[in-house]
Amino acid sequence: MAETITFEDPSGEGKPVELEAFSLPRNTPDRAQRAERIPKPDPFYVDLGMLYRMAQLERVRRDHFTEVPLHLALRGHMGTGKDHDLEQFAALLRLPYYRVPLTGEVRDITLIGSVKLYGDDKGGTESRWEDGDITRALRGPSLINLSELNAAGAETLFALHGLLDRYQALGLPTGETVPLRQDVRVFGTMNPTDLRDYAGTQTLNKAFADRWVIWEKSFPTEEQLAAMLERRYPDMGTKFVELIARLAAEVNTSFTSLDTATRVETPMSLRTVLDRLPAGLRIYEEADDPLIRAWDEFVLPHVDPYDRDHYSTVWSAVARKGPAGPVFS
Amino acid sequence: MRAQQDTVLSEILPPEERVIESVVARYQRVAPAVTRFARTISGNEHLHVRLGSQAASGPGEIVVDPGLFQAAYSRRAPVTPSEVALASALHEVVHLVATDLEEHRAMPREWFPDDFEGDLPEDPVPLLDALAEAGGPAGQALFFSLEDARQESQLFTGYEGARSVLADLYLASVPEALEQARPLGQFALGAFLLTGRYLTRKQVQKRVDPHVAAAIDDAMPFIKAASNSTDTWEVAGIALQLLQIARLHGLAFDVQPTETIGESEEKSKEQADDIQDGVDSLRLITPILADADGYDQTQRTGESVAAEQGRKGDTDEAGDPSTDQLLLVSEAPTVYLPTGQSGKLIVGGVPDRFRHFRLEGHRALVDAARTWGVGQRHVSGELYPLFLANQRRGLRSGYDAGDLSPHAALLLGAGLYERMFERRAISTRRSYAVSLLVDASASMLQPRHLEDARRAPWAMAAATLGAWTLARLADELQIEFEVALFNRAFAAAVDDSEQSYSKRLHAATAGLRQTRGGAADRLSRTVNHYLVKSFDDPWRRSEDVLAGLFYTAMEPRQAAIAARREPNRTPPVSMFEKAANVDEFNVSHAAERLAARRANTRVLVVLADGMTRGSVENLSKAVETVEHSGTTVLGIGIGDPTVQAAYSRNQVVEQPDALAKAMVDGVREALHRTLAELGSGTWWEHGSQRALYSANTRSA
Repeated sequence: MAETITFEDPSGEGKPVELEAFSLPRNTPDRAQRAERIPKPDPFYVDLGMLYRMAQLERVRRDHFTEVPLHLALRGHMGTGKDHDLEQFAALLRLPYYRVPLTGEVRDITLIGSVKLYGDDKGGTESRWEDGDITRALRGPSLINLSELNAAGAETLFALHGLLDRYQALGLPTGETVPLRQDVRVFGTMNPTDLRDYAGTQTLNKAFADRWVIWEKSFPTEEQLAAMLERRYPDMGTKFVELIARLAAEVNTSFTSLDTATRVETPMSLRTVLDRLPAGLRIYEEADDPLIRAWDEFVLPHVDPYDRDHYSTVWSAVARKGPAGPVFS
Repeated sequence: MRAQQDTVLSEILPPEERVIESVVARYQRVAPAVTRFARTISGNEHLHVRLGSQAASGPGEIVVDPGLFQAAYSRRAPVTPSEVALASALHEVVHLVATDLEEHRAMPREWFPDDFEGDLPEDPVPLLDALAEAGGPAGQALFFSLEDARQESQLFTGYEGARSVLADLYLASVPEALEQARPLGQFALGAFLLTGRYLTRKQVQKRVDPHVAAAIDDAMPFIKAASNSTDTWEVAGIALQLLQIARLHGLAFDVQPTETIGESEEKSKEQADDIQDGVDSLRLITPILADADGYDQTQRTGESVAAEQGRKGDTDEAGDPSTDQLLLVSEAPTVYLPTGQSGKLIVGGVPDRFRHFRLEGHRALVDAARTWGVGQRHVSGELYPLFLANQRRGLRSGYDAGDLSPHAALLLGAGLYERMFERRAISTRRSYAVSLLVDASASMLQPRHLEDARRAPWAMAAATLGAWTLARLADELQIEFEVALFNRAFAAAVDDSEQSYSKRLHAATAGLRQTRGGAADRLSRTVNHYLVKSFDDPWRRSEDVLAGLFYTAMEPRQAAIAARREPNRTPPVSMFEKAANVDEFNVSHAAERLAARRANTRVLVVLADGMTRGSVENLSKAVETVEHSGTTVLGIGIGDPTVQAAYSRNQVVEQPDALAKAMVDGVREALHRTLAELGSGTWWEHGSQRALYSANTRSA
């Protein structure tokens, strides 16, 4: 019997959502391979509400939208944790996770597949169809994350139209039709399209955008960042946790400022907050001021030169000096 | 006692870093973040923060006076200049955003003594009116200091770094402030430090007189309430209660029944002075919370700013003229001399309206060229084939084997080539770059003696004619070329007319005198470097402007009359002020720009009529450094021998024809020299003994 997963609303407002996990049918040809693609739940992951919302959508889909698929795209700046959310959703639902980056360089044959030549062991060659990334994922239970949706070229998007609309199938050049199975979920992520430096992104084609439910994913708040840090580094000093969260929140407020004269172009991503800065704190644990050393070595090198003054001002306004150690108890 | 490794700001910051333009320059680096913080604090994403000569707080805009930041730099506190830039700016912004005393309420009965028998007005009144009635000047003074500390305690939450800088600035002043304060001042100072949570009760009580310490014990519940309050009327009520505590402890005088109203008011004013002097010797003073007048003034200015909004004008576009001038100076590049000295140089385009005189200018140029014997056609015609032949094929001479130039016989015959064969070199037309730097002080427009005993203003005219001739020559030969003027005066903007220039000049000078006192002259009379034609500008775009400049130089009186008649259409002819120039900054800056062209042959011609305001030694070293970098510098002095001391290649001229010839022929000879690859043994080394144009005369 399939396992039931309960998704709680972190705000405490909504009712819990219960969903049955998916299972890998025994006759799945690449079962072992797929089983390895089921992500492990991240013990440090903090749901800021996105998993709960996705569970709500999944519940509605299972109950009311069996004929018309609902596909969800998360739009947010770099380092807001979009891919991590999708990966953890797959982990809880026990779905093999396929992340397919749609950069401008990716062509439709990479995603869908192409005919390739193989040796026939008789000195000649024969042509065989080989599935592309998406086709391969569609042949069994999966959660497909089409990453960087708005960086994809037009030909790639057109190839996906049929899969995403009522037709619910991918037509291959071989004449085969690969249907969208009931145990396949298609998700996407994308960066906002504005004047920021997201190379290759463009405004999403309207026809393509119309095939998605699009949700915004904003930077975590100061409290949420602190909760994430506490979950991942329970031995980190409270003052360090609070100060890192505050610095990140301030920088990201500047990053999302609408006024180009007062904003920075480099946010403090979750990778900076949860991985790089703590790594720096470990290295400089014995330094006089571990936080400023970690800030100088693990944060500032990622910052554009013209943003350095702004970052320094935020540092001086919020911290000026790091807390006294020990960093980790 | 201070730790050995701790430094204090007043010791590490040299005086030149404390001048207002340096303070503004530092503010500019933190301004984007401070504006963003201000928007977050105010909850107004569209809040506009700008500099101005007078602090103002209006809906949607606050104006910050950079003069207020300057005071913070003189503190003996362990802080860095960039920390002070941030903390002082954020401090000002926080108070301007947060201070609003406009809410009207009925006068609270509890603010008055139990035995008060007068009638209180039923209609709501502004807070400061009610406070004046209930507590007089002393009550108001105590309120302003409490409100100041309350805002800092609450609104700096989240900006603990900036708050710690403020704390360091304040605490550095505590001993001296307490020593000088009278008991009531000490009490107010203690209340300020406690409300702002800068010191603990014990720390304050250890530092004040014993009877003040006793009063603070009684005041603590009220101080805590003030620190946590979000209601200015409540803070005002607490200020009155603190004043009452001070009276009970003998720190402040109570009103005696025998006193007249005048005597009571006088006493209250004295007490207000005690409070204000005590607190002001420690806090960073912000006009909006200095006193009632300061508050009213800041609000009024804010209202007038708001009233200006909606129409395009100074208020919308930038600050007032004096602040614009301050920003201009603070943002100007700093030029460093080889001697280690440095100074600001205002670099910009020459006012475009000089093209207004283009027709008169073109006519005058033809006449002057004829009168002074400057044959532009002849000059370029002579060199053109040689340049063209070499540059088209990218060949250099001086080889025993290689290509044979079709001009070889001619060049060998003229003594320009020592060897007849050429080889392909990387050099292209970009290999030559010439920069002409002309002194544009008013003395260049003064009448000077001519050969026929007449007097006429020929110096700048002849220089401009030389520039014109060289520009045409360079354009024809496709040599990179630029012309720049330099002077020391109020800087003109590229879109200035005579009217706008004069208006800005007077407004900025008056404003700076009022707000910056002794620094006004330095800030308004700047060292300016105007580009007439840059290397990248096509000659045809600058041709008319240079012609207009020539007319202004040739006929300064006529130009001045035209400017008086049509001040809004004519160029700012009054920009040529009589003031000594600072040649060395301009030479260094022009040479830097010239070096950036990466041309093989670079020639800088400097034309000046007198002594630099800097030192001849500095100028000489600047020229020497430029020469060492591979640029040929020619110094031409008009009736003044200073160039002989400062420039190794120089000539003093006394007549206009000699000046124009010296410029044209000097550059031509430098180009000749590189063409012929004669090395360093040319007459330039003997420039001081021989006329610059003698070589040309010889070759012609």
